[in-house]
Amino acid sequence: MATLRIPSPRGTFRVWQRNMTIFRKYWKTLLLPNFFEPLLYLAALGLGLGAFIQRGGIEGQSYVQFIAPGLLASNAMFAASFESTFNTYVKLKIQRTYDAIVTTPVNAEDVVAGEYLWAGTRAALYGTGFLAVLTVLGLAFGEPLITSWWALLIPPALLMIGIMFSVTGTLFTSLIDRIDLFSYYFTLVVTPLFLFSGIFFPIEDFPAPVPQVAWFTPLYHAVNVCRALAVGPTPAVLVDVAWILIFTAALALLPIHLMRRRLIS
Amino acid sequence: MNTETQRRTGSGTRETSIVARGLKKSYGDFEAVKGVTFEVYRGECFGFLGPNGAGKTTTMKMLYGAAVPTGGELTVAGLEITQNEREVKRRIGVVPQEDNLDNDLKVLENLLVYGRYFDLPRKVAQKKAGELLEFVQLSEKADATVEQLSGGMKRRLLIARALINDPEIVVLDEPTTGLDPQARHLVWDRLRELTSEGKTLVLTTHYMEEAAQLCDRLVIMEGGEIVTGGSPREMIEEHVSPEVLELRAAPEAIERLLTIVEANAGAVERAGETLLIYTADAGALMEKIHASGVPVENTMYRQAGLEDVFLRLTGRQLID
Repeated sequence: MATLRIPSPRGTFRVWQRNMTIFRKYWKTLLLPNFFEPLLYLAALGLGLGAFIQRGGIEGQSYVQFIAPGLLASNAMFAASFESTFNTYVKLKIQRTYDAIVTTPVNAEDVVAGEYLWAGTRAALYGTGFLAVLTVLGLAFGEPLITSWWALLIPPALLMIGIMFSVTGTLFTSLIDRIDLFSYYFTLVVTPLFLFSGIFFPIEDFPAPVPQVAWFTPLYHAVNVCRALAVGPTPAVLVDVAWILIFTAALALLPIHLMRRRLIS
Repeated sequence: MNTETQRRTGSGTRETSIVARGLKKSYGDFEAVKGVTFEVYRGECFGFLGPNGAGKTTTMKMLYGAAVPTGGELTVAGLEITQNEREVKRRIGVVPQEDNLDNDLKVLENLLVYGRYFDLPRKVAQKKAGELLEFVQLSEKADATVEQLSGGMKRRLLIARALINDPEIVVLDEPTTGLDPQARHLVWDRLRELTSEGKTLVLTTHYMEEAAQLCDRLVIMEGGEIVTGGSPREMIEEHVSPEVLELRAAPEAIERLLTIVEANAGAVERAGETLLIYTADAGALMEKIHASGVPVENTMYRQAGLEDVFLRLTGRQLID
């Protein structure tokens, strides 16, 4: 029973394709909220709060320049988290979509892997739109928010970040049997990560052990990667990328195993 | 039971589609299926009749890989199931008990997306989906949402979906439960057409009429075990007399009736204030009862059915 199941690329793609089919029908309405939210943060915190922070305050950048790339990372986290919690739960328990899929040559492990890939894709799609908006806004207001050609690597980075948060979200989903328990995940995991991963202030300036703890959390590295790519990276970014890849790989099979047990008795 | 059934139907050489031997499934301490043995022949409609909780659905789930057997052997479409999960699923179609249509997709899209899970090329899936909507009389609903369909339409769409890969075996778990009589007859009609096309059908039901209407052979399940099996006619002939007399009487009269009846009939079952009397000669028995002068409130005479077989074997009625 406990044999490790490795997803098949074919089945994974079929599940991804199902989600893409639906996304293509509704992408305009689906895209909008994820698009506005970071813009609101940017306006309220970047311009509002930023006005109280002296120019050149954080690492030689204006406040809005400092937070913009971090919001790209958190946007990916939110997109992938909603996908892998509420949306996955509905397909698992309410619409029973997965029950229908696993009676076909697409196995339970393919379903989970397809959802990982899809959550990453969605994060990348949303993030790319947001990146374009940031670039244009920055140029329009004479305060460039994206200053490096390395930023072209942000969409694939967001894919990677989205997959990472899909794995953690799916892990939580595979353990619960009531949809209202997701408030624990968002209040105790997603929100603290959002606040303490160096998006709004450099976490390194906090007293120990806050920076050390932050190093062990996923969004911190995602923010580092996005910020580095937005302004031009140093080799240190490879550590963050490696952290994300190792964390994702180490955890990915666990939700697959747990979800399979929920779909196949 | 198997060899006996084969001998009686004279079909021992027929090609098998599904073979189960001592098939078991436990959930913790609970044994849902306690070692069942059966064979389904190619091209027949094979039924599992029994009340809720008899282990029918669990048996079906093992056939299509949604439940992993904890004991015994199971071969589906000539393949041992646990080693050939994907290949078996490629060759069968599944109509689940609960509607799990994809609500995010329109009616036609449900079939097309499902076809992709079987790697059907786009054009093949388009053509097949159109034919299947025609087959289940849903062509006009191709662009409707799933929510807009009635219960009967959803069930027909589930049947169409199960056929998208042109399966050799179709597994249907309670295909008409919850449908009104008209919708039920339409589903029966479609299922009969499938068997006439040579597909093997395996279905569960707790309606004895459905089993009698559709199944070439069936087994009766109760408490995770197969109680008996055979063709509907064989089972009735073997286990009950051809005629049933149903008598309704006051409680004190029932006792007196029992003594008269037990001496003169093949078998008697008591269900509340009703006596079900299985006899070869209902007329003669009725005369004896009249002669005794015991007051009878209501009398009904009918042909014996599968429901009676079930009652005889388990002492319980199919639908409580």
